[in-house]
Amino acid sequence: MSLLKPFSKLPNINTASILLVESEEHLQQSLADVLVEESSITVNVRLAKSLPLPKENDKDRPRIDLVVFIINLSSEQSFISAEASLKYLDPGYFLGKVCFMVTSARSAAVPTERMDAVRKLAASLHSPLLFAEHQTSEGVAAAAERLLGILKVSAGVVPMTTALYLSNLTRCTLPTDIEQPSFD
Amino acid sequence: MAEAFSLIHSDRSCLGEQSVSSQSGNRSVRVAEKERRKNEAEDSFVLALKYFTDVEAGTPVTGNDDFENHLVQVEKVAYSRGLAPEAIATMLEFAMSSRMGNGPCVRVLKCLLPASVVPQDCVVRAVAWLCVGKIPVNTKVLFVKWVLTVFDMIEAKDQLRAVYGFIFSFVTEETLVRVWHGYNCLCFVVLVRVFRVRKLLELQSKLGRQPFLLHLLSLYKVFCPELVTLSVPSRMRSGFKNHVNPWKSALIGVQKRNGLQVASGISLTVASKEKTNSRKRKLCHLELPAMNSVVNNEAKTEQSYSLKVVPLVQINSFAQLLENMHRIELPAQMGSLLSSSLALQYLDCVQDESALLRLNFWLGHAFQEEFLFSGDGGACQNSEETLQFLNRLLCAQNFLQEGFYSSETFLYKFLTLWDGSLFRPQILGLLSNIPVIPSSQIERLVFEPLKQLYFTSSLFFKCGLLECMTNMLLRWLTWHSVYALEDDLDISLNSHTSINMTLSGFKDSVMELIHFVGHLACVGLRLEGCHSLLLSFTLDFYETVCDTFLKYGLPLLVMPPPGVFYPAFLATETVSVDRLAFIMHRYKINLASAKSQEKLTEQAFHISRQTISEFNHYVVVMVNCLWNSKMFHTGPGVQLREELLVKSNVPQYWKRFDLIHHHAFMSYAFDFHNQVCGKKSHPWHHSKPWGWYVEYLFTMGFDGLKQFVQTLISPQLPAGITQNQNQQT
Repeated sequence: MSLLKPFSKLPNINTASILLVESEEHLQQSLADVLVEESSITVNVRLAKSLPLPKENDKDRPRIDLVVFIINLSSEQSFISAEASLKYLDPGYFLGKVCFMVTSARSAAVPTERMDAVRKLAASLHSPLLFAEHQTSEGVAAAAERLLGILKVSAGVVPMTTALYLSNLTRCTLPTDIEQPSFD
Repeated sequence: MAEAFSLIHSDRSCLGEQSVSSQSGNRSVRVAEKERRKNEAEDSFVLALKYFTDVEAGTPVTGNDDFENHLVQVEKVAYSRGLAPEAIATMLEFAMSSRMGNGPCVRVLKCLLPASVVPQDCVVRAVAWLCVGKIPVNTKVLFVKWVLTVFDMIEAKDQLRAVYGFIFSFVTEETLVRVWHGYNCLCFVVLVRVFRVRKLLELQSKLGRQPFLLHLLSLYKVFCPELVTLSVPSRMRSGFKNHVNPWKSALIGVQKRNGLQVASGISLTVASKEKTNSRKRKLCHLELPAMNSVVNNEAKTEQSYSLKVVPLVQINSFAQLLENMHRIELPAQMGSLLSSSLALQYLDCVQDESALLRLNFWLGHAFQEEFLFSGDGGACQNSEETLQFLNRLLCAQNFLQEGFYSSETFLYKFLTLWDGSLFRPQILGLLSNIPVIPSSQIERLVFEPLKQLYFTSSLFFKCGLLECMTNMLLRWLTWHSVYALEDDLDISLNSHTSINMTLSGFKDSVMELIHFVGHLACVGLRLEGCHSLLLSFTLDFYETVCDTFLKYGLPLLVMPPPGVFYPAFLATETVSVDRLAFIMHRYKINLASAKSQEKLTEQAFHISRQTISEFNHYVVVMVNCLWNSKMFHTGPGVQLREELLVKSNVPQYWKRFDLIHHHAFMSYAFDFHNQVCGKKSHPWHHSKPWGWYVEYLFTMGFDGLKQFVQTLISPQLPAGITQNQNQQT
């Protein structure tokens, strides 16, 4: 089993690499297109359907600074695949270099149990859980902007802060059930 | 009818283009051809309608070519342009009377797409046919669904209300009741009767707690809370699905094609306020309904005056509103209240619980079904309408100066799913309107989701959120100063609810809010490298915080954390330092007046030692740095050993942050030096030129600094300046 390790390679100057893992490849590509347009640093975007990553490309793969699991809530498979991929990550990644991005969270078709399961997963791994409106270009741009913010910190480009510190502030917490409006 | 024909006309014209010929000689022939085809189409439609009017009972359906052709004709018109009122009446009459058996009934019902309005009479007649009992249950269900779909297009509803009793009797039929829940439009307050409620409760005990029954009961509860004592469970979203409906998409198509013609058709029959809006009422639930629901012709007006009830839609001026205040009838669709300022005035003046309950119910439904859990998973194809809706809601809330209960519950839910950019200004606006939340809940409901959003979002989101929090605090403090009772014990959170909060509870919530924003600002400034925009929004917040006691009468003073104080004090922009000086000056005045009150009256609040020592520390740092040139001199703050400072090789390191050398004021010092001293190098750190320099700074508009110097350094100016200056070594 080949683990993806956060510190096995040296970083390049002014460069940050992000790995987008999504089994269904809905959002991945459009997100990547926005991400590479960043001008302040060089952003390498790597796409994968699931982990582990193939061994043969291991040499020319840069150091991955942030791993993003994109989960489409309307499909069960998406969640299962992300969950299965998690074990191919070195524990070092969970010190602030992993985040979860959820799409279709507002859809009526999503069972609440699945949403809760994703929340539980993110909370148990102390990772942030972001929501994205993947169907509009504004939504994708906003999601990319937020990912860039996290990526810059985890790549060590932002002074005065570290990935671990940021993830301590942003990690997902389990909310106790919020009451729906009652008519009393 | 004429309208329908003119529409067919335009439809046919494109078929005429098929004979491709550019010769001008053919033109008149083509026009004539078009004319002929149009007339043919008209004729066949008229013939079809005539057939359905006159067809005799018992005519067989199978193998009847006439019937088939005519029905196809009607369907074609219906799906392309919709049916005119008369055509609707004819076809509905035909279908419900079952003259040709029940077979064609379903098919006819499915093509009943109104082009403009549905006449009331035909619906009443159809209900009458329904009572005859020849119609199978699934057809009845279909009919009821149709009525629900086109409900807003029925031109008047007074007679329909009269037959509500009949309609209600169908509730006992189990299959029919499943579609019944949506009948909220028909539930006028007058119709909620004890016996109906009893019947429903009876039915419920027979069938168990069915979601559709609960829905109807909850609606009744909204209209007449005192009649329904049953507690309705809070989770009822699965009760019904409004959007699964055979007509909806077809109707959207028809209405889109008809465009403005429909709107004008409606405006002729109903006194609708917003004509373009009214046509979309049923299509998009986020659209505010027009206030047309009740009476709209002269005869009706007479009648309702005799009943001593005046529909809100008939009131056009504030004077009229005042006259009829005691006998206002609310519209059936409460959402329409939002768009009318008179209605909002009414809501504000009359402490009408039921009106607010109904409005909240409508809003809650609109949020939940159409926005939060939109069926398509959030594709915002109707974002323009949503935007308008949210803006209107914000306007209404600003007018009433308080948030609606349902928008508050919506926000708590939505914040946990928000991506931080969808309708950001509107959501933040709604958020700043929420009333005071008890401190035990505030963390979980608001702070936790906001924290996760704030630290992962851009600088502009951070600024927006800080602004929103400032507005929230302002609103809370204003509420306190307006609604605090004389005895300073209870404050009512909201003019319309009876939830009260003790003063200490309120103080706890405000304190939580201030600490939370302090934390956000502190870490945010660090993450963004003390960005001056973020700093400015942070100082905005503290300009409110420093005045809680004097301006809003709340016995609470919270100092900013060092993570806010130092970035502001060491900022490169003069304006930040100036504003910080102003804030410290206001803190001083607030603390002093709180202290003096403490001496006068026993029950005035006790300022904690901590607050005072924090304040003193900040003032000492500021005065030492800016005024006395004694940086790193004393105090509990930053301590550095002498030899380390010497090692740094900074000449006169103790002077680095005085008013001359502070990087925010350096340029002013240069300017002053050039103006006053010219080429000669005066030792202007001495008392006289120093006084001039300070005077000069004051004339540059640094009022905060001026007030700071006046209250905290020397009460008299500029004579005092020299005194202080002399203390300098």
